[in-house]
Amino acid sequence: MWRYLGRRLIQVPLVLIVVSLMTFLITRATPGDPVQIMLGMQTSPEAAASMRAEFNLDRSLPEQYGLWIAKVVTGDLGRSIRLNDRVTALLAERFPVSLQLAAAAMLFALFVSIPLGVIAALRRNSWIDYLCTGYTVLGFAVPNFGLALILIYVFSIKLDWLPITGIGSSEAAAGGWWTYIRPFIVPAVALGTLQTAMLTRLLRSSMIDVLSQDYMRTARAKGLLPSTIVIVHALKNAMIPFITMVAVQFGYMIGIQVTIEYIFAVPGMGSAVLNAVVTRDFPVIQGFTLVISAFFLFANIVADMLYAMLDPRIRY
Amino acid sequence: MALVQSPPPVASPRIAGSLRLAARQFPRHRAAMVGLICLALICLAAALAPWIAPYDPIQIKLSAKLKPPSFEHWLGTDHFGRDVFSRLLYGGRTSLSVGLLVVGFAFVLGVPLGLASGYFGKRIDNLLMRLVDAFLTFPPLLLAVALVGLLGPEIQNVMLALGLVQAPVLARMVRGSTLAVREDVYVTAARALGAGPARIVLSHLLRNVMSPIVVQLTIVFAAAVVAEASLSFLGFGAQPPQPSWGRDMSEARRFLGDAPWMFLAPTVAIMLCVLSINFMGDGLRDALDPRAWRTRRTVTQAER
Amino acid sequence: MPLLSVRNLKTRFATDRGIVRAVNGVSFDLEEGEILGLVGESGSGKSVTALSIMRLVPEPPGKVTADAMTLDGTDLLGLSEAQAREVRGSSMAMIFQDPMRSLNPVLTIGRQITEVLHRHQKLAGAAARRRAVELLETVGIPMAEKRLGAYPHQFSGGMRQRVMIAIALSCNPRLLIADEATTALDVTIQAQIIDLVKRLTRERGTSVIWISHDLGVVAGLCDRVNVMYAGTVVESGPIRELFRRPSHGYTLGLMGSTPRVDGSSARRLTPIEGMPPNLIDPIPLCPFLPRCRVSVAACQARPPEPRQFGAGHWASCLADLAP
Repeated sequence: MWRYLGRRLIQVPLVLIVVSLMTFLITRATPGDPVQIMLGMQTSPEAAASMRAEFNLDRSLPEQYGLWIAKVVTGDLGRSIRLNDRVTALLAERFPVSLQLAAAAMLFALFVSIPLGVIAALRRNSWIDYLCTGYTVLGFAVPNFGLALILIYVFSIKLDWLPITGIGSSEAAAGGWWTYIRPFIVPAVALGTLQTAMLTRLLRSSMIDVLSQDYMRTARAKGLLPSTIVIVHALKNAMIPFITMVAVQFGYMIGIQVTIEYIFAVPGMGSAVLNAVVTRDFPVIQGFTLVISAFFLFANIVADMLYAMLDPRIRY
Repeated sequence: MALVQSPPPVASPRIAGSLRLAARQFPRHRAAMVGLICLALICLAAALAPWIAPYDPIQIKLSAKLKPPSFEHWLGTDHFGRDVFSRLLYGGRTSLSVGLLVVGFAFVLGVPLGLASGYFGKRIDNLLMRLVDAFLTFPPLLLAVALVGLLGPEIQNVMLALGLVQAPVLARMVRGSTLAVREDVYVTAARALGAGPARIVLSHLLRNVMSPIVVQLTIVFAAAVVAEASLSFLGFGAQPPQPSWGRDMSEARRFLGDAPWMFLAPTVAIMLCVLSINFMGDGLRDALDPRAWRTRRTVTQAER
Repeated sequence: MPLLSVRNLKTRFATDRGIVRAVNGVSFDLEEGEILGLVGESGSGKSVTALSIMRLVPEPPGKVTADAMTLDGTDLLGLSEAQAREVRGSSMAMIFQDPMRSLNPVLTIGRQITEVLHRHQKLAGAAARRRAVELLETVGIPMAEKRLGAYPHQFSGGMRQRVMIAIALSCNPRLLIADEATTALDVTIQAQIIDLVKRLTRERGTSVIWISHDLGVVAGLCDRVNVMYAGTVVESGPIRELFRRPSHGYTLGLMGSTPRVDGSSARRLTPIEGMPPNLIDPIPLCPFLPRCRVSVAACQARPPEPRQFGAGHWASCLADLAP
């Protein structure tokens, strides 16, 4: 298994290089001068020139790329043009917040999808199954920012139960764990609903598949209790593709949560990239997308590892 | 072997029959027919917007601002007094046309890529699939934001951005089917005298690969509509005063409590689009897969 | 008092095309310690009969009825699902055709044995493990202690079936049903498994219903045989009697199509032409009539009734087949 892991890890830098190239080209091949945006139109040419030199913007493109990559390999992602802070420092601020939001959304998804998927599979064509199908269909159809607005309208404005800002703020951190968690609830539900739909559908079909297997008949022939049959015999098998999907989706979520971060003013990775695009802050755009892609790659590798660990038939 | 997961293929190319067979099966699927009709109506409404919209969508009329739905304004007005229903119709034109463009672009980009990859194999395949992996690793929305944000909000950039995101998945699918067919046909072609393998592969391929591609394209369409709305919502797509579902939803945020119809209308519109496209896709998928029968009746019911 | 008594068992399934009468009036008795063979081709209803006895038929879409179905005095049909769960695995056990697919791939062999012990005999922990090791040794699996932590895919086909037998016999059932238990195995392994089952069940006095389409296997193992066709038993008798004097057109056909090691190589195999009936439409006359080579004029006029041909030997056939 370790050889397989080694092989996968070797492929990672290759893909990341292509990703970095792509990001670099996108940012550089576009109009808009970050220095001008930063300093404004009235600045002197000397100040502009010196700033450009500082960020290597006066060199040729291949040179810029080479310099950047060389630094990345040593762990230095450069400095943000706009915020005048090291990109890695910004990363350290923003990444944990995004991670927490993604984790909250995933927890919600698990909380709903596991019971729903299992019960829908056990009671096919019952009202619960139809409810489940209806829920997943809607979950796939509603865009997450639309759902966010609906939830805000219902829970924050009309009912005034839950706040919509304050994720990661210092007051929240100071006030105990419930105060900290409260602002996560609405964004987590908005973000996690799509995942819930996907995972419920996966678990349901996985369970249905497992339940029709011969070994389930053997389990019944042994006279085992229904709970044993479902949890130990069926679920253990059905969980394998489920858990790997959870890992992959978790890695994916960081990339798509930008709209949620925007609505709820979450100081995470997505909103940082958003701002960076507007201000043409190249180092931030490049560095952050590289990290997000790397994270997704690792999530995929973890998913494969999990699959190998959970299914005794697979040995690399 | 892929570094990154992509959705499983829709139907095995062997099982899928010709599209004509599927066309007969399709109408049996009630949800799919509803979806098709609904989508057709939406597209029609959007296309005929200039003639059926009761008001000019960009005409500002502050005296009529933030009015709830009424007989004069079926879905109310927004903060500039503009008729929400009219804006909905025109916004649909943007979203749906972008969706179609993206489908076309993804098709034009992804299918030849997949075909080449599957047919030529070995190094070309390896190279192309690494490229596909890289694209799939890139967070799609951020890629779109970056491209449109940096290149400009023109519609071709939006199409480029969203299409680049969808094409790799399509390419993968086509590659898989091509590989399968190539194995199949290679042997026969080797035995057949004279007939060029390229021609056989192409015609055989087209028949088998088309079915899962068609289903995947419906998924692409739905995803593109949502992605365009997301981009506009973030401020990167259609620019004001052009009506756009996503943009209107973003502007509705300030008036959430006072004028919920402002955000509800485009949200429901997007949902309806996606739902009908999804149902259609389901119907297509079931029509192409001859395994969809189940009995619900009991013996006692049957004996009656 | 027979151990198992089945009277007029009928199992039907609702399908899109109508009601399938998989088992259409099966009656037989099984004595203690007896090995009964259930022979027939695919679709004859032998597996469904077994599943009906075990109460493993899903209802809906199936429905099981009988005038009587008792095991050791207990009315099997009248049991609630919870009560049936108590009986399954403890008083009656079943092993299936493909041991690779019948064992759970993600659970260890040890776990799959001890869970039955835990469920029915309340054994746990070390005591359960000891018993599991004993069982594995009884069925002839070497290094049993180590094997407890192994997974099914690490065993060979024959070994897996031995594990299935160990699981089935773990709680000393009164009745063991084996559904095509050796069909998926190599011939040499088949012989080993058959010997194993014969030895173990004789030792414990367990009654066995052995289901097979292979007359050869049945001949070497069973005391009595029921021949099934189209959901009914068409002939039944002690093994020697049946082979000496087959009294039904179908039984005759089966024997004619079975290769025999001791026969001359010049003898041709005569297959049974045609297809079995569809089990949905009612069958007014003998179900085997369309494919029968020895039918007489009377067969076209009325359905056959069971006729005695010797001690414990009867068949539903109107023809007189000379031995």
